[in-house]
Amino acid sequence: MPFHIETPQIEKAPEKFGAFAHPDRGAPHMLMRITPHKSLTPEGFVWFVGATAALIALPLFGILGTAVFWALLPFLLAAIWAIWAALKRSWRDKEIAETLTLWPDHIRVERKEPRKETKIWEANPYWVRLTLHKTGGPVPNYLTLRGDKATREIELGAFLTPTERVKLKFALEEALAQARA
Amino acid sequence: MADAAISGHDHERPGFFTRWFMSTNHKDIGILYLITAGLVGLVSVAFTVYMRLELMEPGVQYMCAEGARVLSQAAAGECTPDGHLWNVLITGHGVLMMFFVVIPALFGGFGNFFMPLMIGAPDMAFPRLNNLSYWLYVAGTALAFCAVFVDGGAGPGWTFYPPLSWQDAPTSRAVDFAIFAVHVSGASSILGSINIITTFLNMRAPGMSLFKVPLFAWSIFVTAWLLLLSLPVLAGAITMLLTDRNFGTTFFDVAGGGDPLLFQHIFWFFGHPEVYIVVLPAFGVVSHVISTFSRKPVFGYLPMVWALIAIGGLGFVVWAHHMYTTGMTLNQQAYFMVATMVIAVPTGVKIFSWIATMWQGSMTFETPMLFAIGFIFLFTVGGVTGIVLSQAGVDRAYHDTYYVVAHFHYVMSLGAVFGIFAGIYYWIGKMSGRQYPEWAGKLHFWLFFIGANLTFFPQHFLGRQGMPRRYIDYPDAFATWNYVSSIGAFIAFASFLFFLGVVAYTLLAGRKLSEPAYWGEHADTLEWTLPNPPPEHTFEELPTREMWDKQPSH
Repeated sequence: MPFHIETPQIEKAPEKFGAFAHPDRGAPHMLMRITPHKSLTPEGFVWFVGATAALIALPLFGILGTAVFWALLPFLLAAIWAIWAALKRSWRDKEIAETLTLWPDHIRVERKEPRKETKIWEANPYWVRLTLHKTGGPVPNYLTLRGDKATREIELGAFLTPTERVKLKFALEEALAQARA
Repeated sequence: MADAAISGHDHERPGFFTRWFMSTNHKDIGILYLITAGLVGLVSVAFTVYMRLELMEPGVQYMCAEGARVLSQAAAGECTPDGHLWNVLITGHGVLMMFFVVIPALFGGFGNFFMPLMIGAPDMAFPRLNNLSYWLYVAGTALAFCAVFVDGGAGPGWTFYPPLSWQDAPTSRAVDFAIFAVHVSGASSILGSINIITTFLNMRAPGMSLFKVPLFAWSIFVTAWLLLLSLPVLAGAITMLLTDRNFGTTFFDVAGGGDPLLFQHIFWFFGHPEVYIVVLPAFGVVSHVISTFSRKPVFGYLPMVWALIAIGGLGFVVWAHHMYTTGMTLNQQAYFMVATMVIAVPTGVKIFSWIATMWQGSMTFETPMLFAIGFIFLFTVGGVTGIVLSQAGVDRAYHDTYYVVAHFHYVMSLGAVFGIFAGIYYWIGKMSGRQYPEWAGKLHFWLFFIGANLTFFPQHFLGRQGMPRRYIDYPDAFATWNYVSSIGAFIAFASFLFFLGVVAYTLLAGRKLSEPAYWGEHADTLEWTLPNPPPEHTFEELPTREMWDKQPSH
């Protein structure tokens, strides 16, 4: 899941983006979410944990009604719990989200990371410059965003694939141009 | 917000201690697993050499109650056989090989190093858990060595059947050490498998759907799943054994209303999948090696994946074929017999696909390929004797004879270990940046192939003659083939020592490799896009589809 532009680029954004509306600025011109790829789907999770629970219960049939059954059961439950918790934890670890909200006179980027404070960056779109560093960055096609002199330079979508970052740059440049116009 | 870091990351490289003792890097941990497994393997193989020395001639010449000898035989009449020492050695060999050598080498070593690379993940899902798995494995190994040396040593066999595992419970702690060793190694393997499953399921590169994952990564995933399903059962079983020995419970003690047969059932519910845990990663390695040196893509990728899954699944419903002689009903025996034979179908699919991969390929016979072909041949021999043993009637005759010993060593000692060697020669250049001398690899292969076959093939004859396993001595009638078998064991041991020398030479003075895919374009999984050895951090940027999708048809 690379990035999603959730606001149709029309003059008036629909009602559901009201939540992102700024008290002074109204509905945003564009709302974009950038999240890292997770290869396990919720359906996959159900299938995997379900099949694991079914197969691991098999030896219990042979020992139904004996004391051994009750001694074995906690070990099996612990195993199912462990893989359940690990897969959930892995999803949570990947809950990194960069949300970019764009108004004609304001741009705001929020980065949420698990177990860390949300970081916020704001600038005036008029001064915003996008730079794609083909090499030299920590990843190929490293995308950075710079506002006016007072703000720091930030990275965007470092967890995407290099080609996705190129697409991201074009999408963002187009949106910025429209917002400034 | 991550501040931009355009200057690149020139963070400090960790020092030696930090890198190897506090490692959270999957590649370093993989190498640690391989080295440790190699050293434990040397000890475990040394046990067998000592046992073959004792079995070389009828009578007991070395394992004397007066004191164990190594270099010289005891004079006739001066040696009282020490059967317990023999039991300790077979227990030590079995426990070490099953839990501390083959699984850590294939699953811990190659699995850790190459599975994340093949799916384009930057590391394992839980790097610190990975470190914990490794050190639990080391701790378990220490406990297993204690089990050999403390209080006269543990001798119930690696299966721990009660009442054999009672072994002087009031006075001797040896079996308790063995149980703890298996506990700790089990905890290590469960944590490792949870890590690998999570990595495999949730960290594949974008676009790499399940049926586009390379076969080795698949084999590691299925192995991890089998470990997760079977080890908790074993942990439960041996915990009950522990409380029976120490806290007066009677789960498996007839005197208190328990049933020792229940232990066998839950033990083999773990024990049979364990066999596939040992050999499945070798299937994965062999698939890549065969394809690389036949210069063709693997024949029938999808059936190969489903065969792995089917072998894993069927492995859980055949456990009682280890227990035909325990008085099961006829229907039970018939079921377990048929279910066991069904496993030959997915296994046959794999053998067929490997042969079809080689068919009309431009084959060359570098060392990894020799080991892979050796694997296919030997595993097939072991599989065929497995079909013989799966028949409940025939098993009455063969149960607990050397025929069984020959069978499972063909599958595991020759099968899985050939897989390990194929993997080492295939990837040592990738892991170390240096290539082994080809002549030395080939010499190792031929020595080992001849030695191992000479060791185990005659054991079929011994089993058919009715020689029972697990004894320190035998009647004169079995002398010939035991002598041959011992000679084979010495050749195989010599080849193993030679192999350690080859590895040492390669690491210190081997030819440097600059080409990333030094085996040619048919070594086309993601690890071959990286330099030799791969840098500390890999795939922090996600790989693109063109890098790994060489056969978009499937």
